Amino acid sequence: MAGKQIVEMREALRQALDEEMTRDERVFIMGEEVAEYNGAYKVTKGMLEKWGPRRVIDTPIAELGFAGLGIGAAMTGLRPVIEFMSFNFSFVAADQIISNAAKMYYMSGNRFSVPIVFRGPNGAAAQVSSQHSHCVEAIYSNFPGIIVIAPSNPYDAKGLLKSAIRDNNPVIFLESELSYGDKMEIPTEEYLVPIGKANVVEVGTDITIVAHAQMVTVCRIVVKELAKRGIKAELIDLRTIKPLDIATIMTSVRKTHRCLLVEEGHVFTGICAEVAFEIQEHCFDDLDAPIERVCQLETPMPYSKALERETLPNVDKILARALAML
Amino acid sequence: MKKAMPKEEQRVFFPSDRAKMIKALGKEALIENLRRMLMIRNFEIRAESAYQQGKVGGFFHAYIGQEAIQTAVLQAIGPNNWFATSYRCHALALLLGATQDELMAELYGRSTGNAKGRGGSMHFYTDRLLGGSGIVGGQIPIATGAGFTLKYQNNKDEVAICFLGDGAVAQGAFHESLNLAALWDLPCIYVIENNLWGMGTGVERAISVDRLAEDKAPGYGMKGYTFNGMDFFNCYAGFAHVFKEVKETSRPVLIEVVTERFRGHSISDPGLYRSKDTLKECMQRDPILILEQALIEAKMIDSEQVKQLDKIEKDRAVAAMKYAEESPWPNPVTLEEDVYAP
Repeated sequence: MAGKQIVEMREALRQALDEEMTRDERVFIMGEEVAEYNGAYKVTKGMLEKWGPRRVIDTPIAELGFAGLGIGAAMTGLRPVIEFMSFNFSFVAADQIISNAAKMYYMSGNRFSVPIVFRGPNGAAAQVSSQHSHCVEAIYSNFPGIIVIAPSNPYDAKGLLKSAIRDNNPVIFLESELSYGDKMEIPTEEYLVPIGKANVVEVGTDITIVAHAQMVTVCRIVVKELAKRGIKAELIDLRTIKPLDIATIMTSVRKTHRCLLVEEGHVFTGICAEVAFEIQEHCFDDLDAPIERVCQLETPMPYSKALERETLPNVDKILARALAML
Repeated sequence: MKKAMPKEEQRVFFPSDRAKMIKALGKEALIENLRRMLMIRNFEIRAESAYQQGKVGGFFHAYIGQEAIQTAVLQAIGPNNWFATSYRCHALALLLGATQDELMAELYGRSTGNAKGRGGSMHFYTDRLLGGSGIVGGQIPIATGAGFTLKYQNNKDEVAICFLGDGAVAQGAFHESLNLAALWDLPCIYVIENNLWGMGTGVERAISVDRLAEDKAPGYGMKGYTFNGMDFFNCYAGFAHVFKEVKETSRPVLIEVVTERFRGHSISDPGLYRSKDTLKECMQRDPILILEQALIEAKMIDSEQVKQLDKIEKDRAVAAMKYAEESPWPNPVTLEEDVYAP
């Protein structure tokens, strides 16, 4: 009989780290406040006590330095997990992630792979203004050699983080600060979620809605609202952004003939732009309406909650756009 | 305006006794080191000529004038360590066992190249060379990570050694890496090859201190040393000392090796910022001539034998050009392979 447990997202992530550290002695976690402080968002709570300072390592505030150090460690035989307190701080480390991690395996003629996971909260939290709120997935997805994962719930977060740690490539693993407390029933037994597989969260026939990460939670409400109006929406959670599971999206669009894309990040060159292009490449004749998208407006994130609410996609905006398409 | 860099004669180098070094290393090892320096020089000269013939593209940064440094490092610490360097990476790859053939083929962009024709002049690798890095200072955190791995694995026999140019001292990666290595007692040796120029900007116009290692190291609680990069013996004595020290203490060390490149920053740089007289003067301090003279004086070799060694290395480099020329181009079918590791 398979056991079940109800856990928060942060606990699901912690279990993934803990299990992989148990499984593989080369895995360690490094970042700002991950050890003695127990993690800025408590993902690494209790891990220093269990594993000690050799494998749970507090760093100085030097993202370029410790990200690059992690890449060097990955090239020489270890499997680091690097926590960014916010993915906005990864910009300080961008040269190491982009010029070294992403390109090394190819550029070195397959000599050095870089098995490393960069993880931490991405996108908006609540009123932390523009320098702490950017969604980075569109930026990092532009680099061949990088895998980008953005789970929306504790089950996927645990299974995907374990897969990410076992993968031999650099992985950008995006969490959401607003989701760390989300609870869900997950198995107590070990499981993996494969990289590169989207998930059909809600089955429907009238319209396909594609989203990832925190926006999946928002879109679930939209789907319920549509159902009240007799509209059966199919909701797809990308889970992995790169490599993109276009096949699952294609199957859905060929059934519903309508597609609405939702993204927390900005409109211009966002993930939606890529997904929409691939849909028109593969499903042009299947579409009964233009593809639509609801994304963050083209402004740096404002502080005031009155403005923050307006720039982000929300239930009202997504619902209105979906209804207009039908 | 800060004062100009101290002239070489005003610098205080790590003390070394040439006669003692000659005796300690012996004839066979010294001739082998001279041969290695000639190997590097000849490879670079032939590669440059291939570039001039249009066989090699992109950027090209020669190690000519700096050969004594990395040659001495290999003699002092051996190949079983982690290495990382800048885009001026040809010599280190050769010294770590990459063949002239595979390196020349890489420059020619052929499938038989060191990195399958994907890296070119700035990105050579071996099983212990973590690359030539194209971004100034980008290799410093990588080498620091290699030092971290050694410590994590409790490997006390090896070190991570990182070469960087004087220009990289201005980068944030330099500061962050040294702070981490010193904070965590990582077995890292950072070697600033000060060739006096960051492309066309003199080091005195780029770095706020005169002595790049000895002035900077104390700020990290590290030891700093200055070696004479034109003198193989001084480099060897210094690196052997530091290697022993790092293995004993597991403390990182910062070294400045004063040298001078005889060429422009890259092949497309005519070096107009440096007067002909200055260049001529520095070329009299040719590290190969200095070692050659010392070995001749010690009666270990005569000038005829040096010429022979030189010819063998020249022929090898010319043969590598032929090998590269005859090697197949990468098949475009393979273009999208290996973006991700299996």
